[in-house]
Amino acid sequence: MQPILKIDLTAHTASEYRIPANWEREFLGGASLAARLLYTDLRSDLDPLSPGSPLLFLVGPLTGTAGPTVGRFVVCGKSPATGLWAESNCGGFWGPELRFTGYDGLWITGKSEQPVYLWLEDGRLEFRSAENVWGLDTYQSQETIKKQIGELGVHVLTIGPAGEKQVLFAGLFCDHGRTAGRTGLGAVAGSKNLKGVAVRGSKKDLPLARSELYAPRRSEANRAVKADNFGDVLHALGTSGVADYADYLGTMPKKYFHRGTMEGVDQVSGSTMAETILKGVSTCHACVIACGRVVDLGDGVRRKGPEYETIVGFGPNLMNTDLISIVRLGELCDRYGMDTISTSNTIGLAYHLYELGILTEKDVGFPLVWGDVQGAERLVHLIARREGIGDRLANGCRRFGADFGAEEEAVQVNGLEVPYHDPRGVSGMALVYATSPRGACHNKSDYFFVDWGQVAPNLGIALFDKQAGAEKSANVAHHQDWRCVADSLVMCLLSNVPAETALELVNAVCGLDWGMEEMMRSGERGWNLKRAINNRMGLTRSNDRLPKALLEPFPDGPGVGFVPDIDGMLAAYYSARGWDPVTGRPTRAKLLSLSLEDVAEEFWG
Amino acid sequence: MASTFPSPEWVKDFGQKLNSDPHYAQIAKKWEGDITFAIEPSGPVKETKYYYFDLWHGTCRRAEVMNGLSIKSAFVLTAPYENFVKILKGEIEPMTAMLTRKLSVQGNMAVMMRSIPVVLDFVRCAREITTEILT
Repeated sequence: MQPILKIDLTAHTASEYRIPANWEREFLGGASLAARLLYTDLRSDLDPLSPGSPLLFLVGPLTGTAGPTVGRFVVCGKSPATGLWAESNCGGFWGPELRFTGYDGLWITGKSEQPVYLWLEDGRLEFRSAENVWGLDTYQSQETIKKQIGELGVHVLTIGPAGEKQVLFAGLFCDHGRTAGRTGLGAVAGSKNLKGVAVRGSKKDLPLARSELYAPRRSEANRAVKADNFGDVLHALGTSGVADYADYLGTMPKKYFHRGTMEGVDQVSGSTMAETILKGVSTCHACVIACGRVVDLGDGVRRKGPEYETIVGFGPNLMNTDLISIVRLGELCDRYGMDTISTSNTIGLAYHLYELGILTEKDVGFPLVWGDVQGAERLVHLIARREGIGDRLANGCRRFGADFGAEEEAVQVNGLEVPYHDPRGVSGMALVYATSPRGACHNKSDYFFVDWGQVAPNLGIALFDKQAGAEKSANVAHHQDWRCVADSLVMCLLSNVPAETALELVNAVCGLDWGMEEMMRSGERGWNLKRAINNRMGLTRSNDRLPKALLEPFPDGPGVGFVPDIDGMLAAYYSARGWDPVTGRPTRAKLLSLSLEDVAEEFWG
Repeated sequence: MASTFPSPEWVKDFGQKLNSDPHYAQIAKKWEGDITFAIEPSGPVKETKYYYFDLWHGTCRRAEVMNGLSIKSAFVLTAPYENFVKILKGEIEPMTAMLTRKLSVQGNMAVMMRSIPVVLDFVRCAREITTEILT
């Protein structure tokens, strides 16, 4: 890989860092490599919003190579929301452009005295004043910075006002509305007075060990992605194309995870969007799917259309069936620079507590009524500005619930709000949420797709009953390892690229001769290292849990009456993982088998 | 009804089943769109077979064996014979077949995703009339 640029925002200096060759080989890139690089820095006593807190942007070995859905980067660090491992990956064009500058990562620490943005063009880095960009929303910031630079082909990543205010679920945004949304790394950037990073590079001849093998294989892989039914669904309908099926199976929660059905739910789906307001599609670098939506609400303005999480979060989660309002709320979050999952989940908790009488109109300043999203819109503004009740909501649902003596009502795991794939519809997500290294996350393993039928028997990922228990646990672990590989590449999970294809691409680009077992071991290594990082920061087995709402059956809908056997699943999972059942740490033998000797030594002597 | 798949009799019986099944009539009452099965060679099937079903508001207006894709239908479901067999035997679910590239779908995906219950019941009817499968 190319070097990483280490940037000290306090001193306004930078230096090149060469990644050790054995780490490149063992971790490939992306999130797994970031975990290796940050392992010693991420301590329990590190304040995520302090100058010493790292913000590490990394690409993968395939980024920018026009391979199948690999135009992505990942940003990692310590989450201010969870106090644990943070990672969030993002599409668009920024990641490939960073790579074209000659760097495969930016490792940022320190805090600038005044707001700045970084302008990196090939090997030249400038620290530029962001005084006249600070306060602008993410869309305005991107355009303003591009104008200030005044050159074509610049890609800009920024935070919005929410990141500046250190809202704990603020993200980083590039190429209009492409988002590194989860775990609050936008707040970390804000704490450093870092408004954004603009990049442009000319070094497009990327290092490919066996380019003659790679070129035809990537073309073939892209053709396969394009021919895939699921790619067709995503192209035609966006990620919310799955909404109808999710509802049918009972995996789409409503009314803040307390209902399984809702009248009019079919009005808020990718199908409805396609039939009403869709005007076009948008894409990430070299992606043949183009799942991004472009919609027109009748005012002639072309806007980003919502993806599945936003549709459900501001739709059925709040008992809202007005697609137009969902588009507007999604855009509002984007502009402020906030993750729509965490924002809508935390607002959903506010509605829920209001219904329970725990939260009152006096607390909020106005009533919260299910289905009426005017209240939600007002809350979005208050959160982003940290005003009134918004100042509490801006800390996420766990802390907001705790503020009102109702932490158990918050639907979160380890401080990260649960996305909208309910484990009472497909049980695998119970284990996924309970054990994800970044809190409740549907991307560290999108196991709901496995439960829908997207199996990979050659990886040990077979089909089990949608409500199966412990017998599914090893399957989930295999899937997490496979997705950990994808996160190291950094490959979009939506493309359904077969593991055999990924293996051939990795071998061609990295000059390896791996078999499937070695590639999967790399994923398992990354997964265990992230676990170890979290263990070092205080995570124990007691953290592997589900919130109360997910352990109570839906009163209606396809999943009625069912709750996942999380204890049984966890016990089998620990066994499959080779983790110590008491401490929740990877055992010495497991760590040694993954060549993580230093971690084994630290944990077990 | 006792039908061997694949055969012209199976196509006819499937059409009759769709016209006589009250559950299908109810669940598919809003469905508008014809479907062609393109059954590609594998096992005993030596050349691609095309089975056409004109489906309208819970009924089947026409069910017949076609000579190629001579009618442009709203949906074309294409798979090797062995995968159609797995679906008919219940060894693989239709959505699983779609997600794992075992069954290709051409047509309006918005309609297809919105109508998954219809598709699943359509397959149920096919399974219920199939008494024998050629191997």
